[in-house]
Amino acid sequence: MKAGFYPKMAIGGMRKNGRLYVPYMITCILMVAMFYILHFLGFSGVMRGMAGGGTATDMVALGSYIMAIFATIFLFYTQSTLVKGRKKEFGLYSILGMNKRNIGKIIFWETAITGIVSIVVGLLTGIGLSKLAELGFTKLIAVPTRYEFSVSGSSVVTTLILFTVIFFFIYLNTIRQVRFANPIQLINAGKAGEKPPKANWVVGILGLVILGAGYVLALKIEQPLSALLWFFVAVILIIIGTYLCLVAGSVILCKLLQKNKNFYYKTNHFVSVSSMAYRMKRNGASLASICILITMILVTLSSTTSLYTGAEQCLNAHYPNEIGAFACKYGYDDNLPSQGERLDEILIATSEENGATVTNNCTYFVYSISGYFENDRLEVNLNSLTNMAFIDYDKVAQIQFIDDDDYNRTFGHSVKVNPGEAILGTAKKIDIGNEVTIGEVTFKITERFDDKVSEIDSTAGAASPTIYMIVDDVDAVAQKYIQYEDYNGEPMLAWFWYCRFDTGLDVDGQIKLAETLSEKIKEELQGKGFSNYYCESHEAERGDFISTFGGLFFLGILLSIIFLVSCVVIIYYKQISEGFEDQARFGIMQKVGMNGDEIKKSVNSQMLTVFMIPVIFACVHLVVVLPIVNKLLMLFGLFNFGLLLICAGVCVLVCGLFYALIYKVTSNAYYKIVS
Amino acid sequence: MSLLEAKNIKKVYKTRFGGASVEALKNVSFTVEKGEYVAIMGESGSGKTTLLNILAALDKATEGTVILDGMDLTKVKDKDVAKFRRDNLGYVFQDFNLLDTFTLEDNIYLPLVLAGKKHAEMKERLDKLAPSLGITDLLKKYPYEVSGGQKQRAAVARALITNPRIILADEPTGALDSKSSDELLSLFKKVNQMGQTILMVTHSTKAASNASRVLFIKDGVIFHQIYKGESTDRQMYQKISDTLTLLAQGGDK
Ligand SMILES: Nc1ncnc2c1ncn2[C@@H]1O[C@H](COP(=O)(O)OP(=O)(O)OP(=O)(O)O)[C@@H](O)[C@H]1O
Ligand SMILES: [Mg+2]
Repeated sequence: MKAGFYPKMAIGGMRKNGRLYVPYMITCILMVAMFYILHFLGFSGVMRGMAGGGTATDMVALGSYIMAIFATIFLFYTQSTLVKGRKKEFGLYSILGMNKRNIGKIIFWETAITGIVSIVVGLLTGIGLSKLAELGFTKLIAVPTRYEFSVSGSSVVTTLILFTVIFFFIYLNTIRQVRFANPIQLINAGKAGEKPPKANWVVGILGLVILGAGYVLALKIEQPLSALLWFFVAVILIIIGTYLCLVAGSVILCKLLQKNKNFYYKTNHFVSVSSMAYRMKRNGASLASICILITMILVTLSSTTSLYTGAEQCLNAHYPNEIGAFACKYGYDDNLPSQGERLDEILIATSEENGATVTNNCTYFVYSISGYFENDRLEVNLNSLTNMAFIDYDKVAQIQFIDDDDYNRTFGHSVKVNPGEAILGTAKKIDIGNEVTIGEVTFKITERFDDKVSEIDSTAGAASPTIYMIVDDVDAVAQKYIQYEDYNGEPMLAWFWYCRFDTGLDVDGQIKLAETLSEKIKEELQGKGFSNYYCESHEAERGDFISTFGGLFFLGILLSIIFLVSCVVIIYYKQISEGFEDQARFGIMQKVGMNGDEIKKSVNSQMLTVFMIPVIFACVHLVVVLPIVNKLLMLFGLFNFGLLLICAGVCVLVCGLFYALIYKVTSNAYYKIVS
Repeated sequence: MSLLEAKNIKKVYKTRFGGASVEALKNVSFTVEKGEYVAIMGESGSGKTTLLNILAALDKATEGTVILDGMDLTKVKDKDVAKFRRDNLGYVFQDFNLLDTFTLEDNIYLPLVLAGKKHAEMKERLDKLAPSLGITDLLKKYPYEVSGGQKQRAAVARALITNPRIILADEPTGALDSKSSDELLSLFKKVNQMGQTILMVTHSTKAASNASRVLFIKDGVIFHQIYKGESTDRQMYQKISDTLTLLAQGGDK
């Protein structure tokens, strides 16, 4: 046959089925664009510049993996809808004398054209959208250029490879379907309803088990960052579980409804239940896709809105006073306590020289040591840690020793601790007994002050679990840990000094004072072996906070829009393709004696059943992942589960309304097609 | 009073782009008595389907009235038409028009479900009907799993199950082989003998010779009609053939 024959056939076939192919291509394009943007944000390091950007980047990178899996499953299903409609055509071709090879070539060209167009247009869309996002970032919230977007070569390549592979598998799958059917089967394929999968119950139960495992894993994760891998596994399990459950569930639901004769043979249910059963697997799959997208929207939106609205509170948690100073030195040193006192004096004197009235002064130091906390024992010897077969990162903890006199003086309490005893406090849920061994030294725990830990550090527990221990003589305790060294030969023991107070100065005064104090601290500590020291002001940090959180908020909105658009496209695609399938059917029903009202009612009944399911599932997912989201937000310094719940509630409401709107519009489109 | 009365029916199809219009029916008048079995014959394109569609209220006549059992069909409101159709008419289509989403059983139930009947009642009716149509064993199958003749029998069951006043059939044997056709025709004869009124469009002389009366339609008017009376199927067959020959020659009556 002439060269160019197959591409021509392919294009002709696609054009003939344009009303289905166009939405399909749009879906593909959006998937590509969405993956590109996520991969770009997650891997190109554009967001690394922001404070907390690391976490956000990790999350978005995770999102891009999820997207890849999602796109694969979804495109497979949409493609199979498309092929179902085309089988009759292929059957006709083979009756007219084409062999399987020839048809394979047509399919190859169709997939290739779809793939190339989707990938190219999708990439361009993705790049365009990320440019648009750049404009949004800079124009809307006046964020400096570090958010600048550019084209990332590696993201382009990854997208290219991923989707080429997906389209290749789609091609193989189509070939498989056409190969193993004779022409008559092909011609009839469009008519036949979907057969329930074999062992559907097994699939359903498997789905429930997987979903349950995902849930349990998600709920058990204490430290989402250190357990990022497990978090990812949980998400994947939830996605797969959702798919299996909804596919099996929709089959089971249809069977049950059809068995209930009094329900099934009702005007409103008859047509809708039977057409749901007719495409039960496909229905389940598209519902699962919608459900996952809605969940992603809800999670993204509720976390970023609560961050944004909680920015001020977060700022206050990080900087409880107008001025805050910090110094850190590794190892033990006799002079450190007096060094602390001198720093304190310098700061207060300098502040008062600059016109400040110092109030709420809160100065203290701790000795800190990190290790592996298990069975009431903190292992600080790295050699024995190295020999451990399995390290649970949730158990890496930091112990901070504080002197009882220091504690009483600074925080206005009157606790008394005897040698060998300690008062222990932690913001984390850690099981701790009556005796705790740190290294080789055992302390008797006489009391707990978990509820007062936030006085010391209102962001406590943000990163790795911190355990505070009030001891009788912090110097004596610290000396027992001098010998431990980390992998770089640095002492494990560290001295942290904190000082914070209010000044009564105006905003500019505070900012200027902090700068002056920084200089003073530098003068004092330079060359003395301190690893870190600084002085910050609440007000100077505010701008940074707002822009960081604003940036994250914008990112959240951006991602939500992307998810939303794909969600709309999926719903639209589903409605349109089903509309065309049902068109003839409703025609027949009208001939048999169904009027417009009855059609409308039965369409509505079908839509309502089908469309409530993903929302309900998404809400359940949301509830399960909210605790992890909360833990993630803690990393940004937001400690307000209530706020997160409120934001989640509002997001569910808003998304619900929006979803209802989409539902209304698309079911109108469906109704227009069938009537 | 006649069961069905069509008076001066005219149908003009407007072509889509406002071009020449087609006058499918010029002036058709006839009546059908209760219990009659009437066949309508005519060349392809003579307007038979058009006529049947108007009688079934699937389409509107440009002029004229159709009266079924005293009710003026042209005056039934649009929103009641569907209900009217499923309560009073049974339609058998040339191409079956069964729904792939339903089993044969559910297909047959469809008009009853739309009428809001109880499942028990529907089942009772079908149990009575199915054996005489020979579809008892096929009820759980889907349309694409059975033969054309079997599909048409299911479609007939769907038309009969509502106990309609009249059955309208548009070339019901058109897609069937001669054996299936014979089966369907004897089925029609049987239900007619039980008192069911039937109006059937057909191209087949053999099919028409079953009827008690045959109407011939040509150029949009009823051109001729013959009664079977006391004659046998054979004699009727001969009469119809003669008339058709006459028609083909374009002669007058
Ligand atoms: N929807 C329509 N629009 C325009 N013209 C139509 C339409 N339907 C039918 N016609 C025309 O009306 C005339 C009668 O058509 P009809 O379908 O009634 O013929 P018929 O007698 O049923 O033919 P056949 O035996 O082939 O089924 C034909 O000339 C046809 O082209
Ligand atoms: Mg016709």
